[in-house]
Amino acid sequence: MAVTRRNILTDATARGQYALGVNLLKREFTGPTTASLGIPGTSRRISTYDLFVVWHHTAMSTMTPPQQGDRNAAHRGPVFFPWHRFMLLQLELNLQRVLNDDTFGLPYWDWAADGAGTPSQQRRSALWNAGAMGGTGSPVRTGPFRFNSNDPDGFRVRIEVDANGRLVQSNRGLRRNLGRSIPTLPTKVDTAGAIDMTPYDAPDWNTASPGFRNRAEGWSPPEAPALHNRVHVWVGGDMLPSSSPNDPVFYLNHCNEDRMWEAWMTRHGRTYVPLQTAPASLRGHRLNDQMLSLISAAMRPADVLDVRSLYVYDSLDV
Amino acid sequence: MSRPKKVRSTTQTVAAYVRSNAKHVRRTQMQHHAGTESVRTATHRGHEIVVKTRYDITIDGRPVTGHLGVSNDGHVHYHPIPNLSFASALDMVKAIIDVFPDRFTSKARGKKRDKHPSHH
Repeated sequence: MAVTRRNILTDATARGQYALGVNLLKREFTGPTTASLGIPGTSRRISTYDLFVVWHHTAMSTMTPPQQGDRNAAHRGPVFFPWHRFMLLQLELNLQRVLNDDTFGLPYWDWAADGAGTPSQQRRSALWNAGAMGGTGSPVRTGPFRFNSNDPDGFRVRIEVDANGRLVQSNRGLRRNLGRSIPTLPTKVDTAGAIDMTPYDAPDWNTASPGFRNRAEGWSPPEAPALHNRVHVWVGGDMLPSSSPNDPVFYLNHCNEDRMWEAWMTRHGRTYVPLQTAPASLRGHRLNDQMLSLISAAMRPADVLDVRSLYVYDSLDV
Repeated sequence: MSRPKKVRSTTQTVAAYVRSNAKHVRRTQMQHHAGTESVRTATHRGHEIVVKTRYDITIDGRPVTGHLGVSNDGHVHYHPIPNLSFASALDMVKAIIDVFPDRFTSKARGKKRDKHPSHH
């Protein structure tokens, strides 16, 4: 039976279960170590939650195809939406497992609703309360992912990216800098403008493309960074580097992006381009290309165009 | 179009898939892009255009070796800072310093030099 993904600000159960599940995955170790993944330093176990950090960074560092330097295995091209849907599905399955609750659905953050407020109101959204995701700071000192120097088993950033783009070990608290790099979140005008756009994607299949994917990812005018990118930049701190899944807010942002994609397909049809007949220069982004995987069997974009048997959203009013 | 079936994860399946896919992670850990060359191509009135741009960037004398790219509109991007692009490479390097504060404190600079004296 399909689970329902709900608004984190209006569903206290989903909010609490999400925070609980993330902390359980942070403390689960299935066997992989830093040494087994080529991460330097004394070899340490990697938690299931941190494997998602590794996976995201690896996809981002894998050029698709390798002969060009723009599109990677998860971003800056058509596969952006399918790959993140694949990632969210895997997180949801693992959260269901550790919560022992097959009905759990990932919550989303309707950031464009918060975007209607003034910059100050946006920074004071209920999302950043101690009872939700906690607040801003370096480290974050409130909420379920707060830093406690006396608790070595508490929420810590254990894997991060260095300035040269390599995974390294760390042991510090989560960082956020709400509204510092950019003062405002996207608005409903922005999301509506993206949903109106067709086709899904178009040549040159990159950050200059017309179409829904590039607008929603946040590269195209009128103002970049926009939408998805803008939310990363607005939250700041650990949401800025390619290890951004370190902040559990990462998934709330992408769940809302996924909701946008579902809304777009509901209006315009469950279509995807480029098709498999597209040239090899688009390898990694075509309909039946395998998407880069780490913790499960690989999936293809074609596998995730209709997921209504797995989950639905409580609302597609984005 | 296929409809995916729910495939539950277990601690055993997670461990097994990570073992089989670890090569992807190790490969990206080996990447080193000192002196990135970007190649842009286009066709105009039947003529093939190739523009190669080489960036040699250092901060405090140490090379920046993450993957850098140049879009066709001339904006530069740095994959370790994935949600931003920059009109100027100088602005991009300033952002690198801002996003990775641990790397660019004076304490970190001294520590890195001591730890990796022959690396660069």
